[in-house]
Amino acid sequence: MLRNVITKLSQPARSLIQQNISRGAAASLARGYSSKAHETDEEFDRRYEAYFNRPDIDGWEIRKGINDLCGHDLVPEPQIISAALRACRRVNDYALAVRVVEAMKNKCGNKEKEIYPWLLQEIRPTLDELGINTPEELGYDKPELWLEDVHDIH
Amino acid sequence: MAQSLLRLGSRRALLTSRAVQLTPVAGYHAREKVGNRDIVGFGHNGEPTYEDRPDYPCPAVRFHENSADVLTMREREKGGWKELSLDDKRAIYRASFCQTFSEMQARNTGEWKSVAAGTLLGITLALWLTIWMKKFVYEEMPTSATSDVWKEKSLKRVIDQQQGIIEGLASNWDYEKKQWKE
Repeated sequence: MLRNVITKLSQPARSLIQQNISRGAAASLARGYSSKAHETDEEFDRRYEAYFNRPDIDGWEIRKGINDLCGHDLVPEPQIISAALRACRRVNDYALAVRVVEAMKNKCGNKEKEIYPWLLQEIRPTLDELGINTPEELGYDKPELWLEDVHDIH
Repeated sequence: MAQSLLRLGSRRALLTSRAVQLTPVAGYHAREKVGNRDIVGFGHNGEPTYEDRPDYPCPAVRFHENSADVLTMREREKGGWKELSLDDKRAIYRASFCQTFSEMQARNTGEWKSVAAGTLLGITLALWLTIWMKKFVYEEMPTSATSDVWKEKSLKRVIDQQQGIIEGLASNWDYEKKQWKE
């Protein structure tokens, strides 16, 4: 019961209720809260895009990258998502590509109606080029199967 | 044991000077549970477990084991994705993942019915208990509360003493006409 409560509490805490809209191209000065060097938004974007654009990336690294990216309080830029989808193509993993799109949709949080259509529109060229279907096209925007919640311990 | 050490020793001699792992399979403790599944990622804590979590979208293992049809699907995945049908794509997705995000995040619809039923059942039982208490446990009410004669005389006393003459009970009594005010 306590494990159930703690897991359920930590999940929204990790993805945070107020999601920031993806940081734009405007150069925002870093706010230094810590003594470490803080990277700007563009550096962050470039770093992740370069990570996914590596030609020899493998599935393990893509998944780690996606999990880490989803840990940040932001909706990733479309370039990063496109790079991740192309990386999925290089490792021949279609399920992962759909999962990435779903995860980005989830990252939009309560502003999904504003951000997600724009996001899809931005990555549409990549989706068409690689032949990836969005979750909506696969019918996965509504629940298809039902599973008893694993935390329901009767 | 000694034989395997010998084999390791000979393999080490053949390797180049680069630091290379000798055994490709790392020793992990959940081998029996993981079975034939691919370990594909770090997951949320490094353990080769599967969990559907919105905050860690990519679990560490694929959901289904590598059976023959899963492997044929995997071969077809290597080709162009546009040639795959929607059903193929769904099968590929389900082979790697148990639930979609919408299934993960769907409120278990229908649970409220069992909660409401249980609540009403509890209220019913409490009411039955109250009835039983009244019938079998409590003593009879005293005559001062049940007897009509007593109650009338008590009311007459209230009016005679002018209790609540301004806003209370006696204020409704017309003292000239000796009756209740309209």
